[in-house]
Amino acid sequence: VTDSVAPAKAGAPAKTGTEATPSGAPASAGATILRYLLCGLAGLVLGTGAAVWSVRAGAFGSSAKIGPWTTGGDIGTDRASAFTRATVALHGLLALPAREARYYSAEADDDGRPLDGRCRYRLSGGDSGGAWFSLTLYDPAGYLVANPAGIYSAGSAAMSPAERGAWTVLAGPDPKPGRWLPTGGLERFNLTLRVYLPADGGRANLPRERLPRIARLGCP
Amino acid sequence: VIRRWLLPWLFGLAVAAIAWQATLVAAPRVIMGIAVERLGEAGGLNRMLHAPLRGPGRATIVRPSPDLAYSSCPFDLSKGPLLIVAAPVPAPYWSLSVFDRRTDVAFVRNNRETKGGPLRVVLARPGQTVPQGVEAVRLGGDRGVALLRILVEDRARFAPLDRARRASSCRSL
Repeated sequence: VTDSVAPAKAGAPAKTGTEATPSGAPASAGATILRYLLCGLAGLVLGTGAAVWSVRAGAFGSSAKIGPWTTGGDIGTDRASAFTRATVALHGLLALPAREARYYSAEADDDGRPLDGRCRYRLSGGDSGGAWFSLTLYDPAGYLVANPAGIYSAGSAAMSPAERGAWTVLAGPDPKPGRWLPTGGLERFNLTLRVYLPADGGRANLPRERLPRIARLGCP
Repeated sequence: VIRRWLLPWLFGLAVAAIAWQATLVAAPRVIMGIAVERLGEAGGLNRMLHAPLRGPGRATIVRPSPDLAYSSCPFDLSKGPLLIVAAPVPAPYWSLSVFDRRTDVAFVRNNRETKGGPLRVVLARPGQTVPQGVEAVRLGGDRGVALLRILVEDRARFAPLDRARRASSCRSL
């Protein structure tokens, strides 16, 4: 660093420090500006990078965590925080507001293990408290998972009234009897539960006991 | 050394905090801008694009619902208001929602609220003239997306719904 030692005149005792001589002043000012520039640049990179990372890593509507599910009740409203707004824009642009639909997403099973498309899962639940519900399986980028059966979701529209009260869906890479949600053998996947026209107008989050259970049955 | 770097460090922290907030605030506008551009490239601005049912693979909008048929109208109000007409379809649920440039929902209405009838709304900036007798939705920005969602109970029987939804439209006034 050029300002650490000021030039000493011949025969005079050396002085240290940036204020030692008039000729050191410009170098000192330059170094100070350089320090501010370095720290400012580092702050810019750090702040921007941290925001991008946190939004990319954040779950869709991640303002409340209920077991393995995350949700947000202020999606699409001017009450949404900047963080919620950014995560929704990235992970679920054009999502409906709470009174029209509630979204719950999960990236882990009931025991907190990341959802693995090579494993088998039992998804089970009951009445979701809305006009109907739909459970969709996505890849980590938020796209539907290709499978020969063309099955991407399981929903109450295809269920009898009795089944809607107590339903079970098996998720895994291979076809299963009954309701099957193909995982495509992906290393990671995630689930989104949509509850349309929630009975309470979407004001409250569903309690844990009314959200689907995600039980891992086994892995190869 | 500490004395020399203390203020620059504090300055860096302040810059980091501002950059964090600015990124979060800017992200929705940027993402919505990209979405409007891409939807506009696919079907044109101020026109309704009736997309096929979603399947696997890349799409303009991530996390689509496979149970819904989407018709989108990316709009630009800079040259005038926009009239949106949502025609009834034989589905248990359909809705029209309008998203502004910040991704906020400026308007949403479903078929229960319209009692199964058609829906006509005009999107306009403050100060733009709106025809009488039509519901007006005032937006703070020029660009955004109007989205028509239709519940498809059985993907194999989508054809009648697809025909019916094509009566829905959007156009500049």
